[in-house]
Amino acid sequence: MSILGKKKSSVSEGVPMASTADIAFLLLIFFLVTTTFPKDKGLNLVLPEPGEEAQVSQKNILHLIIQPTGIVDVKRGESQQVQQMRPSEIDGLWRQEVSANPNIIAAVKTHPDAPYKFMVDVLDALHKANAERISLQILEN
Amino acid sequence: MAIRGGGFQKASKASGEVPTSSLADIAFLLLIFFMVTTVFQTDRDRPIEWTEAESAEKIDEKQKNILNIWMERDGLVYINDQPLSMEQVTTVVAPLYAASERALVISIRGDREVPYRFMDQLQSALVAAGVVRVVFATQLQQSMQRERR
Repeated sequence: MSILGKKKSSVSEGVPMASTADIAFLLLIFFLVTTTFPKDKGLNLVLPEPGEEAQVSQKNILHLIIQPTGIVDVKRGESQQVQQMRPSEIDGLWRQEVSANPNIIAAVKTHPDAPYKFMVDVLDALHKANAERISLQILEN
Repeated sequence: MAIRGGGFQKASKASGEVPTSSLADIAFLLLIFFMVTTVFQTDRDRPIEWTEAESAEKIDEKQKNILNIWMERDGLVYINDQPLSMEQVTTVVAPLYAASERALVISIRGDREVPYRFMDQLQSALVAAGVVRVVFATQLQQSMQRERR
């Protein structure tokens, strides 16, 4: 102890800089590990090869005709009977149809003026019901 | 000078520690290197209103094998920021498809209100180009998009 009773402080005034590099590395590694890039989502579909045409008997076809209003006309094979539905009801219908006839194919025919979203709605419903045999067409005449 | 240790041992001048003063420089160098070399998707998003689908699945393919085809409300087609006519789609996609060794996946990003006749023309053009795998892309994150509106 000095005579004047003053004590020199042993605490340094500067912020410790020695660990800056460690902090930088830590941040770098943290962001490298936690960054995930958003992956695109969508409805998968396999298009036919050019010139590939399959002949399917009418009794194995379920016609889904999408009108510009979003109403879906359901027609079974050759019968002229038309049932009107909303796109959200298609998945229940498909489950019924596929249990009755495992070889059935969904022929989605969209009116040229119908918005794309209604086709996606129907495709979504078919995907939900695990449908794999889907044919996309445009409604002619 | 007095001889210490009887003059036999000499203290080594080389430090026993790895120099750490340049560590921060190395960290910055790496950071800048990765910032410069990272390539994100090459095309910019077109202003479309996305469709929504509950059963949408993640596209199981590498990012470089995914080609985005944008279709706006009036039926305009964009590939890699280039506006194209329907006839050009086949001639643009076919060489890309061949270059990817038939691994290319087409991600169709259509506006929800686009009339289906344009979608049908696009699909016919893709079939003519020999493309097999197609994805109808739907909204990435529904909650995020809703908040933005």
